[in-house]
Amino acid sequence: MKLANRLGLLGMVVACFSLNINTYAETVVITQVNLHSQNNDGYRFGDHLTTSVVVKDGRIVALGSDVQIPAGAQVVSGKGLVMTPGLFAAYSQLGLDEIGLEASTVDSMLDDTGYGPAFDVQYAINDESVVIDVTRVEGVTHAIVAPRVGPDPLAGFGAAISLSSPSTLLQPRVAMFGQVGSNIAAKVGGSRAEVIARLRRGLEDLRGFRAARYQAEPKQYSRYDMVALKQAVDNKLPFVITVHRANEIRQVLSLAQQYNLNLVVRGGTEAWKVADELAQAGIAVILDPLNNLPRSFDRLGARNDNATLLVQAGVKIAIVVSNPHNIRLLRQHAGNAVAHGLDWNVALRAITRTPVEIFGLDDSLGKIAVGGPATFVLWQGDPLEVTTWPTKVMLDGEWVDPRSRQVRLFERYRDLSAGGGQR
Amino acid sequence: MSFYSLAIKLTQCLVALSLLPGLLVAQAGSRQPYESTYKPMAVDDFVITGANVYTGSGEFFENTDVVVRQGRIAAIGGRSDEMSMDAISMDGLRQVDGAGMWLSPGLIDVHSHLGTYPSPAISSTQDGNEMTSPNTARVWVEHSVWPQDPQFDLALAGGVTTLQILPGSGNLFGGRGVTLKNVPARTVQEMKFPGAKHSLKMACGENPKRVYGGKSLAPSTRMGNVAGYREAWAKAQAYQRKWAAYREDDSKPQPDRDLGLETLVGVLEGEIIVHNHCYRADEMAYMIDIAQEFGYRIGTFHHAIEAYKVADLLAQEGICSAMWADWWGVKLELFDGVQQNVALVHQAKACAIVHSDSALGIQRLNQEASKALTSARRMGMNISKAEAMQWITLNAATALGMGEETGSIEVGKAADIVLWDDDPFSVYAHAQKVFIDGHLYYDKQDATRQPRSDFELGQTVGGLR
Repeated sequence: MKLANRLGLLGMVVACFSLNINTYAETVVITQVNLHSQNNDGYRFGDHLTTSVVVKDGRIVALGSDVQIPAGAQVVSGKGLVMTPGLFAAYSQLGLDEIGLEASTVDSMLDDTGYGPAFDVQYAINDESVVIDVTRVEGVTHAIVAPRVGPDPLAGFGAAISLSSPSTLLQPRVAMFGQVGSNIAAKVGGSRAEVIARLRRGLEDLRGFRAARYQAEPKQYSRYDMVALKQAVDNKLPFVITVHRANEIRQVLSLAQQYNLNLVVRGGTEAWKVADELAQAGIAVILDPLNNLPRSFDRLGARNDNATLLVQAGVKIAIVVSNPHNIRLLRQHAGNAVAHGLDWNVALRAITRTPVEIFGLDDSLGKIAVGGPATFVLWQGDPLEVTTWPTKVMLDGEWVDPRSRQVRLFERYRDLSAGGGQR
Repeated sequence: MSFYSLAIKLTQCLVALSLLPGLLVAQAGSRQPYESTYKPMAVDDFVITGANVYTGSGEFFENTDVVVRQGRIAAIGGRSDEMSMDAISMDGLRQVDGAGMWLSPGLIDVHSHLGTYPSPAISSTQDGNEMTSPNTARVWVEHSVWPQDPQFDLALAGGVTTLQILPGSGNLFGGRGVTLKNVPARTVQEMKFPGAKHSLKMACGENPKRVYGGKSLAPSTRMGNVAGYREAWAKAQAYQRKWAAYREDDSKPQPDRDLGLETLVGVLEGEIIVHNHCYRADEMAYMIDIAQEFGYRIGTFHHAIEAYKVADLLAQEGICSAMWADWWGVKLELFDGVQQNVALVHQAKACAIVHSDSALGIQRLNQEASKALTSARRMGMNISKAEAMQWITLNAATALGMGEETGSIEVGKAADIVLWDDDPFSVYAHAQKVFIDGHLYYDKQDATRQPRSDFELGQTVGGLR
């Protein structure tokens, strides 16, 4: 449908003949909704910026309290509802991993031989994944899909996706992912020093790199890995490095400055200790605010208010969920960050608009603005609360079918009086 | 329950325990080996005034006073059906202002691995699962618990006052679990909940067959799992007969002790509660059949991802289900998880519990219960918050066999209570004060009332985690 949208009139014709049962090319008006557009920073939850939203051909065509309701439009009362952009997961394995412990359904990683910058997950993304289906009905409309970190400090390219089907892939090769810390140290001989050294060697080898003439020596990246690394560096792709300990964050920061990398810190358990340096260098942090456990000697400084301290120092943050099957908990995680001092609007932004900025995606994403895609969620209360739910989700102008596989299971078994199930 | 009746109960329990063959060798009159040395702290009497009270037993009262005397709930006032506060002497009672706050029972997690999979999670601390044989009924998880695990303190800050530590689920029989009070302590015995029965951790499904099948050992299939349980129970019955014969006629030689079979006999004799890790509906039905074949009861199915498919059967059998709000998908046996699982079990009038099995989840069991409730309401199911509070309090206490002692705010019970700054069903709520047996173990406003384990000392955390 997105493609059809871009093709304009021709696309409309195609859409008419498509099998999709959802409403498209219809005009929809949501009236009197409490809007949190993320198109400017002014609103707080509880502010009543009540407005109406007009959707036509998959786009927002008008916003305002006095919009004209076009004849024949589907009118949805937004009274008492909150509207936000669709939620954006800045890190996930959506579409890559179906069942964690079933290797045949896991495409986010390679065995020890295959890892390196050339790994590119875009070709494995399954838009019909049940995990996507279950996540989408909870208001998550976009995600970064990343390779899991493996034995090499660099794990390969991730992609940006829309949780629509079949036009899932939004932007392949959106960022290079990697990790620094004890996990990787164990894979490269046992020392954290060797992890940094390996990264440094790879970046050093880029100087004067010519693919045709390159012959890898032991401990050097293959030609394909070098080509991938060069592409990522030259194109200023975000280097999303999972790193937790303060001294290692500083090491990565120093590498980024020396080699002019577009660094993004993921995890960042002890990022709060380095907050000023990160702010000064303009480095964003992608973090899970629930990770307050001193889970390893990389993460002894874990604390609940990491997000708050970073934002106070001027660091841009995105909030993510560590559990790949429960990306739908983004808003609970953001809510917990608020419970530990983060500004409500910054928290909402960290799961909608900020990921778009960090990954340099199309500026129309992650916000609600005239001319932009009609991708939003209607909530029956504060979206960061655990007591609320999305009443409707619109993705590129189409209402999302709320009946996920899990909902169908619930419906099948909600009444056991007839013997249970419907076999 | 009075302190005396608690003491009587304790004594009964010890007498019952002593029927176990292994304990016959213990010296009479002295402290039993491994027994709890927990002692409630001496506390002044006090009253929490004007709080919104979730009783944990299914009720909710606004603007209500709760009196604590000698560490136990002495009166609940401000209610039409109870004596009014006018009738309760407030003389000399220290007042804790609960106006605009919420009071709940201390939260109870029936499935935790704190202390056995502690932070830091490094190779030397992984003491939770003795995966060297599919039947390790002989091990007691309390012998693995590290009381300095910083995760206990974080759970306390989340309002958790009681927790059951279970062995992991790699084995058919994982060993004995233990119920702890979440108090800072030097020894595990100082944390053991007095009078709480041991549990036996059993596990269905993929874990045992993966762990042992992967080593070309039995079990490698689900039928291998079932054969493993049945063989073990048959041996336990024979062991029980052997000891019974010896007790009738002690001129016979005393049978050799078998620590694993002692545990299983404890189950057969009703002194050890079965906590059974089991995801799939069909497997739960088989476990019920096995229990029937060998004459024991299953207390609780843990995780119970598909409990909603057999909620009627679970209600009929009186078996609790300890569930997550929304965890799913990591294995095929978790693929049919639904967010309404807890609510559907509750609706079927079976015992529903929200558990964590997670050092993160245990810090916000209240949010987990809230999500389970919200998912139900989203589908039009009519369940109150007061009912949902039972999932993390009284139902959990009952599953541990401690429902008479803790888990609800009712006169006579232990003052294991939490004062929240917001409705605990809100994501924004924090536990402000956590009391165990009336003693203030955690206070969000007072750094001296925020326990920190030895491991945390001298580290540059720089504040409250």
